[in-house]
Amino acid sequence: MSLASTASAKDQPSLLARLFARQELALLVCLVLVLAFFSATVENFFSVRNMTNVLGQASLALTAGIGCALVFISGEVDISIGSLLATIALPLIIIMNDTNSLALGVGGALLFGLIIGMVNGYLVAYAGINSLIVTLGTMFIMRGGVYLYTGQRAISDDASLDSFIALSDGRLFNIIPYSAVIAIVLLVAFGYMMQHWPFGRQIYAVGGNQEVARLAGYDVRRVKFICFIISALLATVAGIILAARVGSAQHTAGLNFEFQVVAATVLGGVSLAGGIGSLTGMALGVLILQFLSNGLRGLGLPTEWQLVITGMIIIAAVAFDEAKHRRANGG
Amino acid sequence: MSELTHASAQKRLIGGQLLGSSQLVLGGILAVLCIAISIAAPQFYSEANIIAILRQCALVLIVASGMTMLIITAEVDLSVGASLAFVGCIGMAVLNSTHSLALGMLAALAFAGGVGLFNGLVVTKLRVNSLIATIGTMMMLQGGVYLFTREAVQNHNQLASFTDLGAGYVGAVPVPVIIAALIFVVAYVTLRFTTLGRYLYAVGANERAVRLSGLRSERLKLLAFVVTGLAVGVAGMILSSLMNAGQPTAGRGFELTVIAAVILGGTSLLGGRGSLFGTLLGVLVLKVIDNGIIILGWNQDLQMVVPGIVIILATYLDIIRNKANVR
Repeated sequence: MSLASTASAKDQPSLLARLFARQELALLVCLVLVLAFFSATVENFFSVRNMTNVLGQASLALTAGIGCALVFISGEVDISIGSLLATIALPLIIIMNDTNSLALGVGGALLFGLIIGMVNGYLVAYAGINSLIVTLGTMFIMRGGVYLYTGQRAISDDASLDSFIALSDGRLFNIIPYSAVIAIVLLVAFGYMMQHWPFGRQIYAVGGNQEVARLAGYDVRRVKFICFIISALLATVAGIILAARVGSAQHTAGLNFEFQVVAATVLGGVSLAGGIGSLTGMALGVLILQFLSNGLRGLGLPTEWQLVITGMIIIAAVAFDEAKHRRANGG
Repeated sequence: MSELTHASAQKRLIGGQLLGSSQLVLGGILAVLCIAISIAAPQFYSEANIIAILRQCALVLIVASGMTMLIITAEVDLSVGASLAFVGCIGMAVLNSTHSLALGMLAALAFAGGVGLFNGLVVTKLRVNSLIATIGTMMMLQGGVYLFTREAVQNHNQLASFTDLGAGYVGAVPVPVIIAALIFVVAYVTLRFTTLGRYLYAVGANERAVRLSGLRSERLKLLAFVVTGLAVGVAGMILSSLMNAGQPTAGRGFELTVIAAVILGGTSLLGGRGSLFGTLLGVLVLKVIDNGIIILGWNQDLQMVVPGIVIILATYLDIIRNKANVR
């Protein structure tokens, strides 16, 4: 009797525990805590201006993070996106300089992104090479290619099209940066796809258990192939925003970007093992890291501390998550 | 009899990899590369150049020896590049304040071993995926080294013994090459001829089975992390001796070169399969390519492009060959 009652008391988790059982909710609580802490300690942190600025800065990782999350959920990794940022800026800026057309420049960049995504996707899904090796390889190849082509010099945007510059400092209704609007629209669209389209469910199925997905009649290879293409195209969008922000194609653009995105995605509860995670979680992960880095800067801490603290938080978050899963599984 | 079973078990575990076709192909690639480059540029075979190549190989091989063990246990360490820079700075700082090579070396090994221990504990105790855990450590070390020093830690003492560590010779052979050879041989013997080595393969191949058979799989993984860390400590001291300073910016992308060499050598990222001999060939191929690009007067930025192509191609060939073997 007493045994049974203790057991049932254990089965009834506290409010806090129940809150934290839901990944997104736990992340939201963390985000609110971060916001509350810095609002109290940093002047002008909780201003519309600063909030929207951070949102604009976060738009790069938010956009590329969608693709990163999709690839993770399908059970693979893509660490070539940082080099991709530098690569697609070349056709973008060069075409714009030649033609004075934003549409042609963006079209050229997306075409490049599409080809890169197809190469990554083909090598992983159809040639069957480990995705870490493939994207490590294409990461080297693209970065080296950019260095070769540019001679390690930036190519500046001479066209200075208003529409292109608006991507970096234009704001919708004078409040929200266009880059953030783009990221939010993409997030909502892909979030809807993941939950309600058959393709979204197929990604979860493939990442959850490849063999079962295959037996259920899903084309596992095609799903993975498409995930890599989406990842490359979304990273291309992030690369276009970055190029607009710096007003040039920089050969060093996006160095370590892949690690930031991977870190935020994992922080957001998307499992490297595949099949688990949500875009909401990823977005919260990106926002937590971005606000944290903004707040720490506001406190006057050198940028290096941000790296150190971010690293610690990533390890702590994943460890915490892992401990929670183990407790839930009773082992 | 026991000798026989021992040998056959060995063969099964390593999958006949030592002189398996994987290594033969890689050896063939290396030979073709050497011949092609020396036809195009005869100075490739000069004594000075060969010594330069070997010295280049030494740093990578030292860390790759540890990394091979680690990847065989199905884990990976991305923090070695960041750690390499930090170790060099710390070693140099201790050397400057104590005037003792032994203490500087000890500090470097303690720090790098500590980083390895930290990584290992996070992975085995907290169960964090090693890719993520070591990305986290990498960030902490990259930030940490700049908090430790904003600029290069100069060599104030110019101890002869320290300079020899990177630039010295024994006979015609550079000291770093001798150190690398020693570490390689110890690691090779451990992996191939000791029980510990076979356990490392077993952990990577089937961790659950290892745990069920009563071995502490976590201890083995922890050991592999610490060994990798210690190897970084040695490499970091050699590097700071070569540069005559501790550079906080050193080691950028070093982790990728090391991992590329290990993978190129046929060690599987999934664990349980691979060999140090392959790693040696992998290091040599990558560094001969690097050297060839310089000797032929090609654009040095190719040094990033070619290894990228080589890793993907080598892995693909491996897959094709495995399929052919199954048939």
